[in-house]
Amino acid sequence: MIWLRNRWLHRALGLVLGAIFLYAAWSKLLDPRPLATIIWGYRLLPAGPINLVAIFMPWLELLVGLGLCTGFRRRGAALWASVLLSGFIVALFINAVRGVNVACGCFSTSADDVHDAWLLVVRDVPMLLAALVMLLAPPRSDDPRRV
Amino acid sequence: MAVRHRVCAACRQPDRCEQHHRGQRTPPVRHSKRAAMLPLPTVSGKLLRDAAIYLAATLVLGAAANVAPGRHLAWWGKGFEPPQVGSDFVFIDAGSADALRASLPRVVFLDTRAAADVAASRVPGALAIAYTDLARQLRRPLLERLRAADAVIIYGGSDEVDVEQLLAQELRRRGLAPPHVLVGGFAAWLAGGLPVESAR
Repeated sequence: MIWLRNRWLHRALGLVLGAIFLYAAWSKLLDPRPLATIIWGYRLLPAGPINLVAIFMPWLELLVGLGLCTGFRRRGAALWASVLLSGFIVALFINAVRGVNVACGCFSTSADDVHDAWLLVVRDVPMLLAALVMLLAPPRSDDPRRV
Repeated sequence: MAVRHRVCAACRQPDRCEQHHRGQRTPPVRHSKRAAMLPLPTVSGKLLRDAAIYLAATLVLGAAANVAPGRHLAWWGKGFEPPQVGSDFVFIDAGSADALRASLPRVVFLDTRAAADVAASRVPGALAIAYTDLARQLRRPLLERLRAADAVIIYGGSDEVDVEQLLAQELRRRGLAPPHVLVGGFAAWLAGGLPVESAR
């Protein structure tokens, strides 16, 4: 398993996952109002904090994407990527169990962009694994326990 | 039996390795099976600092963007209300929409589907409009045309009419009378055998 600490593996994972985050952030940054509708459609949050999530989450996605792509404080970006993806998976999983195929708001803010919730959960799991590799198995030069 | 030491600087193994520490006072050990596995790094201060930097940058950028005119969202809750039938929009079926089009001179259809789909086939005279690009598209000439229309009918591709309702709500906020939302979207229009045109 030591190969998980390979520097080039981390760069590749960072580029791919970062590009996905940047793509996901783009349409949400243009206007947060449709995103509020999407989040409302999940029926998980009370009305109050929905707007806060819609206002700030796209910017966090943007910064995490940039951080993963460029390697700037990559473990910090990977930590937030893990938090975001875990949240997405939990939200999608709950709606999948409910039998609701929500408009996920993953890569567009169109409420017509409806997919099978289970497929969305499955799609997010590899991304979470990639983020966890970058978070938990940093390359050698990043290892805080280096002698 | 493996002896616990700090991480080997050369090969990064948690136990000092035979290869890089031969001849040292510390008794050389073979890499144990456990040592070959990935030890979970502890949460370091640097990691928390990095995460805090990302959070702080997010708060600053998000707050700055949200005070920009045209894209403001109330900070807490009440700024968003789901579109309400009756006050924000009115449902209309395909047959009634076609009758409206035939009987009134200024009926405007707004098509929310992807641009390629609109170009391929649409209600005659329909205007393409993307909900995610309203800031650019809802300029004064279009808004004046919509205000002057006898009726505005919004349709999408299918039964899902969430985007159409949101667009109607946005137009209401900009001073239009409640627009109509076509039940069943363009699919219902086609199923009714109603006229279409193509830009190709």
